[in-house]
Amino acid sequence: MLITLEKLTKRFGPVTAVDGLDLEIRPGRVTGFLGPNGAGKSTTMRMILGLDRPTSGRALLNGRPYCSYGKPLLKVGSLLEAKAVHPGRTGRNHLLAMARSNGIPARRVDEVLEAVGLTGAARKRSGSYSMGMGQRLGIAGALLGDPPVVILDEPVNGLDPDGVRWIRGLMRGLAAEGRTVFVSSHLLSEMQVTADHLIVIGRGRLIADAPLDEIVAGHASLEDAYYQLTEGTTLR
Amino acid sequence: MTLLRAAIGAEWIKLWTTRTVWWALVAALVLMAAGSGQYALYANNGDLDDQGTATAGTVAVMALGFAQLAFLALAMLVMTSEFSTGTIRATLSWIPSRGRLLLAKCAVVAAVTFVTGVVAGVAGAAVATSLMDSGGGLDLTTAAKIGLYLALLGVLAVGLGAAFRGPVVTLVVLLMLVVAVPPLLQVPDIAVLNGIADAMPGVAGDHFLRDGSVVGLLILTAWAVAAAVAGRMLLMKKDA
Ligand SMILES: Nc1ncnc2c1ncn2[C@@H]1O[C@H](COP(=O)(O)OP(=O)(O)O)[C@@H](O)[C@H]1O
Ligand SMILES: [Mg+2]
Repeated sequence: MLITLEKLTKRFGPVTAVDGLDLEIRPGRVTGFLGPNGAGKSTTMRMILGLDRPTSGRALLNGRPYCSYGKPLLKVGSLLEAKAVHPGRTGRNHLLAMARSNGIPARRVDEVLEAVGLTGAARKRSGSYSMGMGQRLGIAGALLGDPPVVILDEPVNGLDPDGVRWIRGLMRGLAAEGRTVFVSSHLLSEMQVTADHLIVIGRGRLIADAPLDEIVAGHASLEDAYYQLTEGTTLR
Repeated sequence: MTLLRAAIGAEWIKLWTTRTVWWALVAALVLMAAGSGQYALYANNGDLDDQGTATAGTVAVMALGFAQLAFLALAMLVMTSEFSTGTIRATLSWIPSRGRLLLAKCAVVAAVTFVTGVVAGVAGAAVATSLMDSGGGLDLTTAAKIGLYLALLGVLAVGLGAAFRGPVVTLVVLLMLVVAVPPLLQVPDIAVLNGIADAMPGVAGDHFLRDGSVVGLLILTAWAVAAAVAGRMLLMKKDA
């Protein structure tokens, strides 16, 4: 499944958070979405999921807006903010409601809980979860509908090294299964080891859209390449 | 239709899986029982306005003045807690149609407030009956009316919650509309102001509860529908 952005633009008052992004995110690889804090990554992802309305342009999934899917979880799994869960609800109940909303059988909830290693804490209130457990619950939700597209916003933020390794492996595995994996990060080192393909933005504008190898070629590291690419554009 | 049923199912699970709902319902029942007991004693002492005509049903309606606050809090939290906890972004990624989400929440809240409202009405009348010297007795009609009144107030609260998003502002507006403003309007006893007060949801609902006023029921229904429509509009328009 393909994610297409067509001249996608979002302004918040005087701030242009996303500025005319025109791109395609393809299946079968991990597409890293790289840019400094405030570059517009989260806003772009929110527009893909129909949470923010674009000022102009469109974001489409296989040619259709997210909101046009009746059971979107079967198409797109997403993790934007791990803390977007009611703290008083248990992780399992959160997922049960989520499954019910998209006609996903309840047994799938226990499968994904098992897959993310949260079975033991599933019946505890999510407010008591650590950052890493919250992130795992979010990932469980993203996998619930077994979707061909997975969108993750800064998934390694606040995770311990084990968690980081785990998410990295998970994303590589999902892409290897032929899914579209779109993951944002402001961490160059993370993108260097996770992504096959990079989309780099700064101040809402596209800076680069190329395979990782191509971007790094001729530089000592992604970091060097990145600073050369973004020279001037990211300074505020 | 199946999508709406799925959304209602999800909202149903969400409603019963936080503690808020239990606290609110316990509070509602306690307030109902305590209020009914108190008014039953007033009735025995001849301290009520409708001297001599008080029944267990009318006593329960009076007690509802307190108990409805717990129902209002419950109903408005179903919507506003989505925004205060940030859950709304998750919810909308499961149910991207905002109209469908609001409809599902209204349906769940209306169903729960109706059924628990009837139970509270029966419980209030039962407490009153056990204490009253005369006028006691089971009053199912009044209990059903209380359920209907609370279901409509519930929809009003959900609609306002969707429109305002913040729990505090929503509760303040709700309390103004239902409880606070009408008495202020009625104090000077000027026909125009009394007329306006009659058109407010709390007073209109009260006429329906006490006198079976169909006009009162229609006015209350209009408020609930208007709030839901306004809530839907603002929910669609603004970013989540
Ligand atoms: N709801 C909002 N209201 C106003 N400004 C916003 C809002 N969301 C994001 N912004 C602004 O848009 C820009 C991009 O933010 P964001 O998409 O969060 O960037 P990133 O995820 O790349 O760090 C920032 O300048 C941010 O302050
Ligand atoms: Mg961000």
